[in-house]
Amino acid sequence: MSTPDLTQTPIDADGSFEVHLQKSGQTLKVGKEQSILSALQDAGHEVPFSCSQGVCGTCLTQVVAGTPDHWDMFLTPEEQEANTQMLICCSRSQTARLVLDL
Amino acid sequence: MFIKNTWYVACTLADLNALGDKPLGRTICNEKMAFFKGPDGKVAAVEDFCPHRGAPLSLGKVCKGHLQCGYHGLEMGVDGKTVQMPGQRVRGFPAIKAFAVVERYGFVWVWPGDQAKADESQMPVFEFFDNPAWAYGGGLYHVQADYRLMIDNLMDLTHETYVHANSIGQPEIDETPSETKVDGDKVVLQRHMQGIQAPPFWQMAMSANGLDPQAKVDRWQICRFSPPSHVMIDVGVALTGKGGFDAAPEHKAYSVVVDFITPETETSHWYHWGMARQFKPEDAALTDKIRAGQDGIFNEDMEMLQLQQVNISRWPERKLLMLNIDSGGVQSRRIIDRLLAQENSSEINA
Repeated sequence: MSTPDLTQTPIDADGSFEVHLQKSGQTLKVGKEQSILSALQDAGHEVPFSCSQGVCGTCLTQVVAGTPDHWDMFLTPEEQEANTQMLICCSRSQTARLVLDL
Repeated sequence: MFIKNTWYVACTLADLNALGDKPLGRTICNEKMAFFKGPDGKVAAVEDFCPHRGAPLSLGKVCKGHLQCGYHGLEMGVDGKTVQMPGQRVRGFPAIKAFAVVERYGFVWVWPGDQAKADESQMPVFEFFDNPAWAYGGGLYHVQADYRLMIDNLMDLTHETYVHANSIGQPEIDETPSETKVDGDKVVLQRHMQGIQAPPFWQMAMSANGLDPQAKVDRWQICRFSPPSHVMIDVGVALTGKGGFDAAPEHKAYSVVVDFITPETETSHWYHWGMARQFKPEDAALTDKIRAGQDGIFNEDMEMLQLQQVNISRWPERKLLMLNIDSGGVQSRRIIDRLLAQENSSEINA
């Protein structure tokens, strides 16, 4: 029996999801009250950021797999629909797992 | 606390035009504003606060109808939304307040309160502006005193005898009782003096209008307060026995003292003063001469009011006397208080 592909599975009812960092190979849990950015910082990752409210674009990150839930005001609607990049300070995930180019 | 859902004079169009590509920063009713001309050439007002780092936008300059912040080049639009900024996507930048503005009578008028209630039909109407039968000249003072002290001053002209002893003051002002009437939101205080010698300022005006400056005159002062803080004063002299205020134009020299009093803070205001006259409206040199005379006279008030404010601020608990001569100011303040209460209760109900 194969394990389900979490990047194709809707997120848990409790609003949490996991983020897999492709370059470091690490996987982090992002809780409902937490941003991806703060989960990364809590785990000791220094990532670029500034406004923390989806405006400035400093934390723009490439998405490798999974579907982001965009909450920012930086990307255009077209860019958001493409789901290839996201602002990790405020945007979340629609799928149980996101793979980021970090 | 100020009546904010109303129109105030912010500046003259001439003062704004004189700044060229610089905006005008001005605080009105404790709201910091930056005035500039938008892409259509019309005056706009936005909060004087760059959404980027809080810099005053009024330190910037106007580029093609946008207000460019003097710190990092953010360009603000007339609606309070950022138009562009070098190297940035501005879509998510928070908007700042934009204030409704009307250009009329050579002034920029602004509505500092609830923008949804801004209503051009509530602009006051004055017959003497934009009217070839009248001439107008005036100026601006930045006065470090509660704007209501200026209303008190203008609604009680007995001070002229002492503050302006060398120009418009004369003992007959003290000796002649005044009459105060309240009509809705307006206060009218009037005093009519008969068979007196004209004081120096009015002798000058009589000469300018071809009258013998030494002739006995009837003199009138009719002070009209209307909200939020406009005081128009009919002033003049007529050869005695010719009907006073109602005398035919050839027998009198008269004008309207125009006072637009705009609160800045609780203890400071912008005072646009001027004089509108119907005699010799085409005589620009006379307009300048009257303006210079009025400037000197009103400077005497400014010194008094500012030092009065220093005293009041030092002794805030001391209750001031309100005498019979103060009834015009008392009634005007009562109207301000009533409108203020109305405005605040409608905000709570909203």
